[in-house]
Amino acid sequence: MTELEKKIKAKIPGEDTGIEVRHSLCAICSPGHHCGVDCYVKDGKIIRVEGTEEHPYNKGKLCTKGSALRNYVYREDRIRTPLRRVGRRGEGKFEPISWDEAYAIIAENLNKVKEQYSANSVAFFSGYCKWYRPIFHRFAHVFGSVNFGTDDSTCNEAKVMGDKCTAGCGAGPDLAHANTYLAWNYEGYYSSHLSVAGVQNLKARGGKVIIIDIRDTPASKNLADIFLKINPGTDGALALGMAKLIIDNGWADMDYVEKYTFGFDKYKELVDQYPLDKVCQITGLDGDKILEATRLYATNGPASTNYSASALVHHINGFNSHRAIVCLSALTGNFDRQGGNIPNPPTYLHKPAGFKTREDEFRSERYPGGAQRIGAERFPLWNSLFDEFQGVDLLRQLEEGTPYPVKAIFGLGMNAKMFPETDKLLAAMTENLDFFVNTDLFMTLTCKYADVVLPACTSVERGEMKAYQGGYLTFTKPVIQPLYESKSDVDILCELARYMDLDDDLLKAGYEASMDWIIDGCGLTVADLKASDLPVKVPAAKWPAQPGKILANGFHTPSGKFEFYSNTIAAIDPRYGLDPLPSYRDSLEDQNDPETREKYPFYLCTGARLAHAVHSRAHEVPWLRSLRPNPTVEVHTADAARLGLRDGDKAAISSPYGEIRMTVKVTSKAKEGVLMALHGYTEANVNELIGRDHLDPYTGYPGFKGMRCNIRKVEEA
Amino acid sequence: MKHVFVFDQDKCSACSACMIGCMDQNDIDLAAGDKCYRQTFDNEVEMADGSVYCAYISAACMHCSDAPCIAACPVGCLYKDPDTGFTVYDNTNCIGCKSCAMACPFGAPRYRASDGKMVKCDGCNERVKSGRKPACVRACSFGALTCVTEEEYRQSGSTKACSALIDQLGLRK
Repeated sequence: MTELEKKIKAKIPGEDTGIEVRHSLCAICSPGHHCGVDCYVKDGKIIRVEGTEEHPYNKGKLCTKGSALRNYVYREDRIRTPLRRVGRRGEGKFEPISWDEAYAIIAENLNKVKEQYSANSVAFFSGYCKWYRPIFHRFAHVFGSVNFGTDDSTCNEAKVMGDKCTAGCGAGPDLAHANTYLAWNYEGYYSSHLSVAGVQNLKARGGKVIIIDIRDTPASKNLADIFLKINPGTDGALALGMAKLIIDNGWADMDYVEKYTFGFDKYKELVDQYPLDKVCQITGLDGDKILEATRLYATNGPASTNYSASALVHHINGFNSHRAIVCLSALTGNFDRQGGNIPNPPTYLHKPAGFKTREDEFRSERYPGGAQRIGAERFPLWNSLFDEFQGVDLLRQLEEGTPYPVKAIFGLGMNAKMFPETDKLLAAMTENLDFFVNTDLFMTLTCKYADVVLPACTSVERGEMKAYQGGYLTFTKPVIQPLYESKSDVDILCELARYMDLDDDLLKAGYEASMDWIIDGCGLTVADLKASDLPVKVPAAKWPAQPGKILANGFHTPSGKFEFYSNTIAAIDPRYGLDPLPSYRDSLEDQNDPETREKYPFYLCTGARLAHAVHSRAHEVPWLRSLRPNPTVEVHTADAARLGLRDGDKAAISSPYGEIRMTVKVTSKAKEGVLMALHGYTEANVNELIGRDHLDPYTGYPGFKGMRCNIRKVEEA
Repeated sequence: MKHVFVFDQDKCSACSACMIGCMDQNDIDLAAGDKCYRQTFDNEVEMADGSVYCAYISAACMHCSDAPCIAACPVGCLYKDPDTGFTVYDNTNCIGCKSCAMACPFGAPRYRASDGKMVKCDGCNERVKSGRKPACVRACSFGALTCVTEEEYRQSGSTKACSALIDQLGLRK
């Protein structure tokens, strides 16, 4: 081998090797992240991907999934052309059509539903990867529909609602100044790889870490000074018990409580019902350890708390559990204080960057009104706090047609597997929809039910605007041409807006014009951003967020204070039975009758993160799939011994709603009686086991992480 | 300049980003039955007191200072790169006898069915020579897997060099 051949084989960039490094971003996971990537390109093909060292957000780091970006982009099942269904819905038989034909079919069918029923009978629904959402949201409204919904129906928004009802806004941990990190449900190694360094730094300067989780994790091993391995679904009771200890021991910051909070007396009455022995019994934790953790949290100076996006709120008691934890932050005077949790509102698409944009106006200024969104009647708190429909109620509205029928769905990355009892939703869509168009990278289960399927391209095949922590903004350039006939999601929407001649000059002017409108006033334009290959500092950005603004100017709540007792919840019609206090309920309270208990003695927790997976997005990426080739259920060693289950056995997991088969992995990481399973597998969709009405009444969120089930060994077919 | 792989298991989570980085760099063909040169382990070890220790480990060729695989190869495929010190190879003459794999206490060299030859981690020798990190190290977000020069290693005071593992295990006569 010549020296040059060696360099080419080793993919060393340079003029001699013909390998060029081009910058883009990875959009496999949520837009709360989206790390910068270096794509090594040769002859128009990506041959290697690394994290961009000069990128201000990820500074060269990539997680397991991002490291597999090349394998994701070149997946064999990429959709290649627009497709028209020729078989039955769900059968997966399609014929290729042109983009013009696709636009014509879509325009005709959406307009038909609009004329026959109303524009609201067309639901616009977005899954991942969310980047196009402002364009899509506006598109729905300009078309005339109130019904724009997203995967926020079951992800993160319940936490945001809890923050709004309690503190008026969310607040991130200020680890750089904290002495203690109350790392509630924290597992950064699997779900937030860039956060680990901050915790390592805190420990290196003598800070203490308390981890509360239902399973042993790399974080509990590598980072925890105190690890509370809690019974799943009981976090709310622990938070109330900790509050009682803090108050009873005189560790509360009563100056803060008196000056900045509302409803303390009622809150104290609530927490008084959670003495330590009762909390131990509910949570399965040792009383001394709870006391030790509480003392450390409350008396060791500034303490930050981790609030996870979905680990808690995927319990039917999760909304109030989250609120109970947020309340600890005010009780100890850590909310909006240095070293505690500091509010830092998002600038654009979930990313805080220290400046304001017109994203919200862009999304909502054309809201047509005149009708209730899907789910508004059933989940009034959701409806009062969030300008999207609650997709969890889509199944009911499709079936019942009330208060009005839903007859068409325009999906971008719509994924029915994110909903409980997926097959029922797909059946209701098959039965009741006049028209369904979905857009995706890959031929998913949901796409197979569509009448028209459109091929989107990945993040490395498009240009996209993105804000980053630190006061940065970027507009990426495609590193390769869109594969096959795929297009950028926003180009699809803007081209369709032109084709349908929608009444909106901004959408018709296109994505870049729309982004210019959104960032107007920040000191930069899209043209400025495009002049740089990397994120640029925004002149108007103020970073980092300074603590104390809310304390000085008032909380964004009805009382202007931090609300232990939520006036927002109190304003909801009492017939819904929502408690303004963060009270605790059993996470299986709808399944605790003796018969169900006996038949389904296991506690099923789905979707707890592992490093190689995020929802269903990575399951079919060959490199990632090789790390865990089979859909797997984790069974505790003691339960496995009792049931005669061994590693690699096939097992049937059942609930009152269905049964699936998975491969057994025996482990002691979670507690006895708990089964853990990843969601998102088409051949073993664990969400089939979650009942459609097993929901948190405050948010509509399904109890994905707490469901009764049973397991039995089955012989290999 | 001689280089040393260093592994700190207190920082590892077996997230396997290192494996993905290796697959991306080396175009590992999983469909053909090929395996990644690096492997991670997420093992639970029952301790004497009944507790369970969770071991998170990433392992590949240790690039032993006195590598037994080199002497074991009958056709002289394996050698030390004089510059980086990595155990590298040219398998043009490889007869697929697997002697190197048998000699390796860590099972690093593997038989590749698609061409009947032995393959292994070469420390991303060309990358390191061009001033880059090995692909697995580049993919590690947590500082668990690093690759430093011998001088940097000596100065760090670390005892976690992968190349020293063979001596620590006391496998030599």
